[in-house]
Amino acid sequence: MLFRTTLLALTTVLLLPSPAFADPTADELLKKYDAVMGPENFLATIQMTAHRDDGTTRTYKMTVLKKGSEKFRLGFAEPAAVRGQEMLRQGDNLWVYMPNLKRAVRLANRDSFQGGDFNNADVLRVNYQADYTAKVVVDPTRADAWQLELHAKTKDAAYDMIKLWMRKSDSQPVKGEYYTASGKMLRMAEFTEFKVYSGLMRPGKISMKNMLATQRYSTMSWDSMDTHVDPPSGKFVLDDLGK
Amino acid sequence: MFSLLQIAVRNVLRNKRRTAITLAALLIGVSVMVSIRGLLNGLQRSLVQNVVQGQTGALQIHRVGFLKNVLSSPLSLDMPQDAAFEAKLLAVKHVRAISPRILFAGMVNVADQTIFLGVQAVDPIREFKVVPLRAKTMEDKELFETGKVVDAMVVTEQLQTALKGSNVPKDAPAAILAPDKDGALSGENVTLTGVMKLNMPGEKKVGMLRLDVAQRLLKMEGRATEYIVAVDDIDNIAQVAADLKAALGPDYEVSMWDEIATFIKQAMTRQNFILSLVATVFLILMLLGVANTMLMSVLDRTREIGTMMAVGVRRSKILGLFLMEAATIGALGGVIGGGVGALIVLVLHARGISITFPGSNVPFTIQPYVTPTYLASIVAIAGLGALVFAAYPAWRASRLRPVEALAGG
Repeated sequence: MLFRTTLLALTTVLLLPSPAFADPTADELLKKYDAVMGPENFLATIQMTAHRDDGTTRTYKMTVLKKGSEKFRLGFAEPAAVRGQEMLRQGDNLWVYMPNLKRAVRLANRDSFQGGDFNNADVLRVNYQADYTAKVVVDPTRADAWQLELHAKTKDAAYDMIKLWMRKSDSQPVKGEYYTASGKMLRMAEFTEFKVYSGLMRPGKISMKNMLATQRYSTMSWDSMDTHVDPPSGKFVLDDLGK
Repeated sequence: MFSLLQIAVRNVLRNKRRTAITLAALLIGVSVMVSIRGLLNGLQRSLVQNVVQGQTGALQIHRVGFLKNVLSSPLSLDMPQDAAFEAKLLAVKHVRAISPRILFAGMVNVADQTIFLGVQAVDPIREFKVVPLRAKTMEDKELFETGKVVDAMVVTEQLQTALKGSNVPKDAPAAILAPDKDGALSGENVTLTGVMKLNMPGEKKVGMLRLDVAQRLLKMEGRATEYIVAVDDIDNIAQVAADLKAALGPDYEVSMWDEIATFIKQAMTRQNFILSLVATVFLILMLLGVANTMLMSVLDRTREIGTMMAVGVRRSKILGLFLMEAATIGALGGVIGGGVGALIVLVLHARGISITFPGSNVPFTIQPYVTPTYLASIVAIAGLGALVFAAYPAWRASRLRPVEALAGG
């Protein structure tokens, strides 16, 4: 009896993978991605530089405020041409406030963000857990990272399909490839310059390469990010834009 | 030789029923061919006119590389839009009128609805001097033209329906948004003053905007991405294109309308190919009829041929006689058929045929026509073809043996 119990216990222990060495599931990795790239609340100052086909560049400076998973507000500080422009997300809705029109105009998630190579959802909708179903796939070329394959659940998601690599050492995102529904690669991102922002370790820079117009790419870097803010809800309504 | 022709004509007239049937076949074949060619000519002329006078102008001027890169960077390859530059264009011989444009992609917004569109920003007066047919596609053109509404924009009916489908008040403010020359998002208020129809199949979500509004929106004051050019005679365009290119130098490219609207040229080539295929089939059927008649004629007239040979008519003369008969019928059928065809075409030309292309909503009239050269060639083809197809029956006749032929074959 004792022998049998011991054997059973042993088998159970042997068969159950030890939690300390278990591979993370796709859902765990997505959760990690969202926690790193879009913490619950934050106030960040960000710079985006768009490199265009003709070799010229243009740099945009902005602040982004986020509250919960549904609310974003973004304001441009530079260059002068877009100073005063603001963007607001409420759930699936996205608007841009144009100071010269003195009103907000609805935008689509997949429009280019200020003519660069990120789209609006890349910047103002980081909720991969809500937008995608994911599975872990094996990438024989990279032993140091897990590869995830993400398929959009909704048309409002930034892309139809994403391949995402997260390194095994600390589950930080390192690379992304973004595809159309038909499997054509639109963009490729590299995540670099990992830094600690108010206690949160995350990539400090993303380079987004345009795979259709291959001369073009854009970089986005985070100058600061404060995750200990609690902005009032009144900041995230249309009437508050431009004030 | 003349006597041979005389005898041939007399022979043709002798068996009236057989000749009538052969002529009828030729007449129908030739007149149908002429009518189809006439219709196609009319259709193609209308197509070209609609494109040249309603869309592209005869010639277009761009910066080198613009047409290749129009999808990725339509604004960076631009050119001056000022009096000095325009004087250079107008100085070229045979240039009748010019007008600047900026083409760009943007979004139009009405009452919390934003829709993508392609925009043609045009000079509201000069545009219609270069492409006058375009005015027909617009409602309330005056509002756009006169500047009474300084930020006027017209969109296609399809876009209007998409924008105003859901109980939007008529005076709801509208705005146009687009990345400016540097890529930064920019917006301007516009007033939707009316709708335009599409005169050709193509992109349905498009709008036309006053050039000055677009220049402000795109931060492109005093710049344009395209000039459209009207010439005084469309037959001169190759020369005018070369002269413009010489005047502007290597930074610019000058394109003829058929290099811009390539689909028209392709459609025309395809139509011509199909027509020549149909025409060839018709011609062969028709000429087989002629060959058959001649063969019947030879069999019928065996005794007659024997008699001719018996009185010393040479085999070559017999051959010649039958060939001549065929050629006479061919030429006669060709002339009558060509005449009937030309008459049909003339009537259709006078009446005009109104058609609307699928995907477009402006009807236009086509006026069929044929050229004298085409008529002459079709008559020649009918005559010569009859000659060729009569070769075998004529040869058979010339090879008959007089004694057997006299005995009735």
